[in-house]
Amino acid sequence: MSDVVLPLSALAAPARRRSRAAGTSALLLLLPSLGFLLAFTYWPIVQVTARALLVQRFGTAGTVGVGNFARLFSDPAFAQAAANTAIFAVATIVPSIVLALLFALALQGTGALTGLLRSLFVLPMMVPLVAAATLFTFLLLPGDGLVDHYLARFGLDMTNWLGDPSLALGAISAITVWKNAGYYMLFFLAGLAGVPPELHEAATLDGASAWTRARCITLPLLGPTFAFVLVIAAVNVLVQVDHVIVMTGGGPSGSTNLLLSYIYQQAQQNNDPGLAAAATVVSVACLLGLALVSLRTLERGIHYES
Amino acid sequence: MNLTRRAALAASVASAMVASSRSAFAATELDLFFPVPVQGKLANEMQRLVREFNAAHPDIVVTPVYTGSYDDTNLKTRSAIQAGRPPGAVIMSANFVREYVINDEIIPLDPLLGSSPADFMAKFWPALRINATENGHVYGVPFHNSTPLLYYSVDAFKEAGLDPENPPKTWADWVDAAQKLTKRDGSTTTRWGLMLPGTYDYLGWLTSALAMSDGGEFYNERWGGEVYFDSPSTVGAITLLDDMVHKYKVVPEGVTDANACTSAFFSGRTAMMMLSTGSLSFVQEGMKSPFKVAYLPFNVANAAPIGGASLIVPKGNSPERQKAAWTLIQWLTSPEISGAWSRFTGYFSPVKAAYDLPAMQDFLQKNPNAKIALDQLNLYGRSWFATYNTVGVRKALEDQVQSVLSGRAKPADAARLAQQNADVLLKPYVEQTALKMPK
Amino acid sequence: MKAKGLTVGLVLVGALAVLWAIPFVWMLVASVRPGFSPDIASLAPPPPYVAENYVDAWESGSFPLWYLNTAIVCLGILLIQCITVSLAGYAFARLNFRFRSLIFGLFLVQLLLPPPLLLVPNLSTLVSLHLYDTLPGIMAPYCASAFGVFLMRQTFRQLPRDYEEAALLDGASNLQIIWHVLLPLAAPGLAAFAVVSLTSHWNEFLWPLIAASSPRNQVLTVGLASFASGAEAGGQWGVVAAGTLMVAGPLLVLFAVFQRRITASFAFSGIK
Repeated sequence: MSDVVLPLSALAAPARRRSRAAGTSALLLLLPSLGFLLAFTYWPIVQVTARALLVQRFGTAGTVGVGNFARLFSDPAFAQAAANTAIFAVATIVPSIVLALLFALALQGTGALTGLLRSLFVLPMMVPLVAAATLFTFLLLPGDGLVDHYLARFGLDMTNWLGDPSLALGAISAITVWKNAGYYMLFFLAGLAGVPPELHEAATLDGASAWTRARCITLPLLGPTFAFVLVIAAVNVLVQVDHVIVMTGGGPSGSTNLLLSYIYQQAQQNNDPGLAAAATVVSVACLLGLALVSLRTLERGIHYES
Repeated sequence: MNLTRRAALAASVASAMVASSRSAFAATELDLFFPVPVQGKLANEMQRLVREFNAAHPDIVVTPVYTGSYDDTNLKTRSAIQAGRPPGAVIMSANFVREYVINDEIIPLDPLLGSSPADFMAKFWPALRINATENGHVYGVPFHNSTPLLYYSVDAFKEAGLDPENPPKTWADWVDAAQKLTKRDGSTTTRWGLMLPGTYDYLGWLTSALAMSDGGEFYNERWGGEVYFDSPSTVGAITLLDDMVHKYKVVPEGVTDANACTSAFFSGRTAMMMLSTGSLSFVQEGMKSPFKVAYLPFNVANAAPIGGASLIVPKGNSPERQKAAWTLIQWLTSPEISGAWSRFTGYFSPVKAAYDLPAMQDFLQKNPNAKIALDQLNLYGRSWFATYNTVGVRKALEDQVQSVLSGRAKPADAARLAQQNADVLLKPYVEQTALKMPK
Repeated sequence: MKAKGLTVGLVLVGALAVLWAIPFVWMLVASVRPGFSPDIASLAPPPPYVAENYVDAWESGSFPLWYLNTAIVCLGILLIQCITVSLAGYAFARLNFRFRSLIFGLFLVQLLLPPPLLLVPNLSTLVSLHLYDTLPGIMAPYCASAFGVFLMRQTFRQLPRDYEEAALLDGASNLQIIWHVLLPLAAPGLAAFAVVSLTSHWNEFLWPLIAASSPRNQVLTVGLASFASGAEAGGQWGVVAAGTLMVAGPLLVLFAVFQRRITASFAFSGIK
């Protein structure tokens, strides 16, 4: 660092040049990211909307119209996929967040045992969902699978977890909770670490029980963390369908079909790009709606303390 | 540039030219998409076969690509075609060939046959012709085929007082046998009379088998726009399944997959199973106690739809690739190779001549089960259900039958809903063909 | 009373942890059982224990190719991401420019629109860019990381400005400042980002499944799905378990070694 004393005027001129140049520099710096963003996030939205509005029937040229959306909303398979997704959302978000909070509260300590237990919950996050799918395909095999094998000791009959339409979605949800709870736990652990211990100490001195302290101090302060995890979990509901595709293909009787697996089926199996595009538009609209209400939450949530 | 450098440059240019001209005579490369739709170590065997082909044909290099189930193979092939990178040849489920023809995605093989379509198809079993041809042109060369079979445990039959040499012939016999074979311990069933796969693709096939055994056509063989899901024969088939699950309680409720069926058969938790002949070798290997196979029982008339796959060549391949693909197809469907594959897997060889070879005759003598399967094909074989948007239309039925198997729908309603949903899916094609009137 | 409540809670959580570990325990145990064992579901089976399932899995799959492809894809994505997120993160952290909030919002929204959701249009984009069935095609949609941009923005903002100002006085350009001054200081943040990026892309399935069809472009997840369906068809559960372990193994091993680092990377404070 040079020990030069600069006159004020000399300092001012470079600053002015710098702010004019800042706009161009910023653009140049942002260009790589923006390029990919536009090519693979925003242009696709425009493109898929256009495709959805192009109504094409077998052997005929396309015309612009809402025919694909009309077909989509009168397709019982889509209605079923939408309903399943809603049920799946509740069945995965609620247990995984509750469990994640429970795990975080119980495992805040620094002992070796708590460290080990935390790791066990985090392990599923480190493996691909399709790996979980291959393992659970065996675990849930009727009769010979691990679950039925051990449940038989309690006298339970062979249960067809993935083949019974009333059970299959539950099984898929359980696998999702298994995969995500540990990941959400990490967010809660970080959130809990941000609660000032003085607050707890003061409350204890005032005679508050552990439960009261949890209710009045911890949970409110975890509010932002809750909100953030909720948003992440909501996105996962729409995006994590690997196990559905690999294990059940949306069956039996379409009972495990979710929005994204429906899109995949229409695009790839039924060769119906119009319907797939319309369904994509609907899913994107849902997430954009979510974005509108959660932008602030997201912004706050993605901090990192090194 | 000095002399040595110029010489070096000239030399490198010359060698580059030689290299590129050498590559002009290089082997034709082609990828073969193949599925493994039934149980067994078929993927390894196919890869071994391809290595053998490559060794015997130095001017062709085939890359075998394992593409999963029949449905997955269909997906991957279509994606590849739409992305402008069609595979050289595909072992495609025999009943998807029609749809590829409708969508104009595969080439007719007539120019490559070397004889008239009729003469060419005469080399194959008659039951295979409908799925292999469309409008008199050959589009899919049969590669391996199957029919549904009734597998049953000899010990279980003896234990229940049934004669293993006299398997059930009619639906009435079948239900009777199943009831005798089912063992209960209080409210738990320790042995089921019958199990069958209820997963996508398998269930549609088996339902069509039952509907045809109930006298029905199930679908329009000549035109891909019509299915008969709510005709009495199909309703009868679905009702049989419903009764076996809920009335006689000889079949477990819900959707079972093929692996669960065979596991149960091996461990004695089911006495009979309705399964593809394609699994015959697999069952032979895994079943420790004696078992036999029988024709599918009938209600109105014996019938067994074929299953299996045909070799197709997608459009968009160069003429050299098409010729190379044809060489591969001929090799794969030669009596020796076809016979060997059949003996390894349990599928039939579609090639009649394969059964004239001593190796095959020997095999059939030692394996009466394989002989029974072949006889059913020749006596009662019928074509496999194929329409416009085959998978969607098939699922329209399967979703409903799965509901019935799980106790959530009644057969008549399921059949009606299946027909309705199928008609919606077929409508675009129907409007452009049968309902397209001259202006 | 409090202590008893805590112990009950800990016992409950401990029991759940055991439940959570069962799939992994089965995977380890079943992978060393000989083929066609009737009690393949057992978590505590008797000997013999064999290695043939690993040999079988290695031979029926193309694990070396899958490892290579996955490594290329994940490291390639990470490399490009490091560039895109450092540059963009710096722009948001240190520069004032018009539409900054709007553009920032564009990045934020991208957090909610992961590539698999947009598979239909992205696939057509790939085809028109002639990137279908290529490894770069698989990588492309992931190269802009909104999450990474925010991370780097946060990291840069927390760095003291002294070094930058000195460099600016010396006439350094933005790029030079980023490369020579800030990145070395931001290494922990980048490392955290690397962990998250590598893990999530190693585990991606649906997009790589659709974006590439040839076996030579398969990544581990796609390879596992096809390998498992073939092995399941043969009832070879031990082989399935061995193959799954070979796919999940690398990340699990990394986790075992760098546990603390990894969990810290994934956890973010949402409260400040």
